[in-house]
Amino acid sequence: MAPSQTAPFGIPCVQYLDVDGRPLGPLPDFASDPDALRALYRGMLRTRAFDAKAVTLQRTGRLGTFASSLGQEAVAVGAAAAMQPDDVLAPSFREQGAQLWRGVTPVELLLYWAGDERGSDFSGPREDFPICVPVASHAPHAAGVALALKLRREARAVLCVLGDGATSKGDFYEALNLAGVWRLPLVVLINNNQWAISVPRAAQSAAETLAQKAIAAGIRGEQVDGNDVIAVRECVAQALTRARAGKGPTLIEALTYRLGDHTTADDARRYRDDAEVSARWPAEPVVRMRAYLTARNLWSHADEEQALEVAAAEMDQAADVCLATPPQPLSSIFDYLFAALPAPLAAQRAAALAQEASDG
Amino acid sequence: MTAEPARVFNLPDLGEGLREAEIVAWHVTEGDHVVEGQPLVSVETDKALVEIPSPRAGRVAKMLVPTHARLAVGAPLLAFTEGTEADAGAVVGELPATAARALPAAAASKTRAAPAVRALARDRGVDLSIVAGTGPAGAITRADVERARGAAAPGEPLRGVRRAMAERMSQAGAAVVPATVTEEADISAWDAAQQPMVRLVRALTAACTAEPALNAGFDAAGPRRTLNERMQLGIAVDTPDGLIVPVLRDADRLGADALGRALAALTDAALARTLAPAALRGATITLSNFGAIGGRFASLVVVPPQVAILGAGRAHEQVVRVADGFAAHRMLPLSLTFDHRAVTGGEATRFLMAVKAALERPAVADRL
Amino acid sequence: MAEVTLVEAINRAMARAMAEDPNVLVLGEDVGRDGGVFRATDGLLARFGAERVLDTPLAEAMIAGVSIGMAAQGLRPVAEIQFMGFAYATIDQMLNHAARLRTRTRGRLTCPMVLRTPCGGGIHAPEHHSESGEACFTNIPGLRVVIPSSPQRGYGLLLAAIRDPDPVLFLEPTRLYRAFREPLEDDGAALPLDRCFVLREGADITLVGWGAIIQDMLAAAEALQVDGFTAEVIDVATLAPLDAETVLASVAKTGRCVICHEAPLTGGFGAEIAARLAGEGLFSLLAPVERVTGWDTVMPLPRLEAHYIPGKDRILAAARRALQHG
Repeated sequence: MAPSQTAPFGIPCVQYLDVDGRPLGPLPDFASDPDALRALYRGMLRTRAFDAKAVTLQRTGRLGTFASSLGQEAVAVGAAAAMQPDDVLAPSFREQGAQLWRGVTPVELLLYWAGDERGSDFSGPREDFPICVPVASHAPHAAGVALALKLRREARAVLCVLGDGATSKGDFYEALNLAGVWRLPLVVLINNNQWAISVPRAAQSAAETLAQKAIAAGIRGEQVDGNDVIAVRECVAQALTRARAGKGPTLIEALTYRLGDHTTADDARRYRDDAEVSARWPAEPVVRMRAYLTARNLWSHADEEQALEVAAAEMDQAADVCLATPPQPLSSIFDYLFAALPAPLAAQRAAALAQEASDG
Repeated sequence: MTAEPARVFNLPDLGEGLREAEIVAWHVTEGDHVVEGQPLVSVETDKALVEIPSPRAGRVAKMLVPTHARLAVGAPLLAFTEGTEADAGAVVGELPATAARALPAAAASKTRAAPAVRALARDRGVDLSIVAGTGPAGAITRADVERARGAAAPGEPLRGVRRAMAERMSQAGAAVVPATVTEEADISAWDAAQQPMVRLVRALTAACTAEPALNAGFDAAGPRRTLNERMQLGIAVDTPDGLIVPVLRDADRLGADALGRALAALTDAALARTLAPAALRGATITLSNFGAIGGRFASLVVVPPQVAILGAGRAHEQVVRVADGFAAHRMLPLSLTFDHRAVTGGEATRFLMAVKAALERPAVADRL
Repeated sequence: MAEVTLVEAINRAMARAMAEDPNVLVLGEDVGRDGGVFRATDGLLARFGAERVLDTPLAEAMIAGVSIGMAAQGLRPVAEIQFMGFAYATIDQMLNHAARLRTRTRGRLTCPMVLRTPCGGGIHAPEHHSESGEACFTNIPGLRVVIPSSPQRGYGLLLAAIRDPDPVLFLEPTRLYRAFREPLEDDGAALPLDRCFVLREGADITLVGWGAIIQDMLAAAEALQVDGFTAEVIDVATLAPLDAETVLASVAKTGRCVICHEAPLTGGFGAEIAARLAGEGLFSLLAPVERVTGWDTVMPLPRLEAHYIPGKDRILAAARRALQHG
């Protein structure tokens, strides 16, 4: 007897604007508000300006290693724009666009990359998780936050963003599995930029799409054109709405491309062709949205110039503040380790401060 | 990073007869590697805001024009580096190169002495190099240091059994109210084979039956007194390390033969230091046959919670009054020290007289 | 007053904590319906319900990670890892996240979670179920590592751990779970963390240890008493942060130290105590510091287990070696 099909599946892929910024069909409702669209575009310009400033600071020895999100601005900005303020964000290390949208200040982000813990003490979104470096290890945290929200019956959801490499990790699968079986208000967004340092997407997984890993967890999975900020915003919004309504988690794979190096200490030319990167520039998200807006006369070159200058000025000022911020006192590495410093550590703290004083 | 003379990219012809432009925003920075087609800079002309794409892949050496400056078509805009670059060899951070450091040579030491001993020697002004060590593997001990210092330092700290005795006796002395009554038993009727210890234990058994108040436990906190059913007899044993008092369990139930064996085993174990911890606990009354060494009468120490201790002195010949004159009889001195908080003089004396009576019989009564 | 075993004491502590604070919840594999494979969470599901006692899927890293997320939201998760052998999978989450969440956000987010797991051998269990892996966790700044040695201390220390605003790894010696009973007043009284417990005073030698081996140390102290030596017995209880002051004060008095632990010798936590003695108590030492530990081998399977786990005899031998020195 021929085997029957028990679990066939398909993965939808959502796109609203083509590569040149022309609508492929009707746009989602929010897109009829020009201010909302301009806000998305300004958000992406602001992100790009932040990245440019951070890279410049790193090159001139005033910032540590930095991970630029060049080319991926729509994923971060679109996703954050879909969140409510009281939702919770758990980012990886390349979602500064989302963090900036949600009220993390450029000074805070620069302090983080400059090596100052105060950069994670967000003044804005107090419950958002800080940047997560060990890949995918924040996925269980996001699930835990979602569980807390569910247990307390709050109409809030959690957005966890991670990269294509992260989907190979145990923590990713374990978190998805838990979210599925416990029906957690969690949306996991894969910021698939096609590269995990030097490992291309094709070498990362045999799965045809990363979104289909949702099937294994028994949850909804879909792809979205990650360079179409309207599509990202809409997809994530719908997923969050479902999550808040108790309809369970979603895994969204946003397809984008890493136009820069993995970090400022990486040289991607060692493992990928410049020609491949050149071919990706025309599809980048900022030019696409600009094309859509200008075609509808929603954005002039004066608007562009002003937005570029405002963004650049904001980031210049943030850099000045960051560089002018003196380092924390050495005592801070002890004073925040526990709620109250345990007695056994008091002598160490005193010795460390004495050393600091004599070092001058 | 090594670099040959940079390749300069000039502001390209923007078309429509435009001769110059203003830099609005740079999109790259020094050190970036860029690809062909990547936007380098946004410039403004009279007509439009234009993004200038990179003509080639390469690494930006220097942006040659600052933001807001104007430059003419054909003027130098940006310089690329050229030539091979060294591999930075990192994906995060920067790897410093450090010189190896020489390790200090280890100091040699020939004298074996623990740190506390060295500290003591320093304290006492003793030169360890001239001290002979008597510890393991010839290590110098504190006692060695004290000896080397001469007679000046009095005494030695007590350890082990001596220390335990000092502590136990101090506690007893602080609590007990001792009183002692003495007697002598005429043991002339004993035959030569009699083991004094066996006779003494049997005599105590008889006395505890006659006067149970001496086989009691006293708790000053109550105050409470517990009469013990059985006799757990502490046997004072003099060992080279000091006084050890193991306990003969249920001594009142042991017949003469069993007693002999049990006493021997207990004494041997005490001398060989093979006693289990439990063997030192739970005595209800104690016997000290100090007469085996010498002495006649003694005031002994009652160790709480016991209330009595019987001491037997050295047996000796004494002239006594007999019916038709005088005779030399063998006498065994007895001393009974009791805790007067719990025991009356009458109880103690009756107890002692019972001991005397039992001892004066020719042979031990083997009935239990 | 009830006489309880260690596992019963732990059960009572969790029940009390959950009754006192609605934010306390329990999660782990088989902790709900089954009451935990050692019954440590017995009765909690019936009493507190399925939203406070959660049977998780089988994923240790996830259990730790989810606890971190919940704790950051103000809940107080008490997560169980079924055996210490499976707790190694949580090191990434505990070290990289739980232990540093407070400091890396400068106090904005905190992590008041407890991760509890049975540890140690002597229960004739199959492979991987007899691990003493505490040294893998004691070098993690920001994480407390606590291990009780008796029902009373199990109760008091677990309550303290649950109430503490920072993460605690709570190791429960499996072979003590039902080994003996102690009277316990279920009065919610916690014991202090970050402090050693002096279980027995002595003047001639200090025995330091934690967990199940405390019982063997106490037996050795009794035996030394016959020799006329008094041994001071110290239960470290909180390995990290270590209360070295108590140990140093004891060795200042006795001059001799035997450190006892079931975990392997090299890099075991006893090495830290030995280093503290060498660094801060050197001039008190009359004798070399002795360590009585598991060998530097994989914990053998049950047939050889008894030869691996150090007991009273090895402790006595080490103590007598030290007592030769004066």
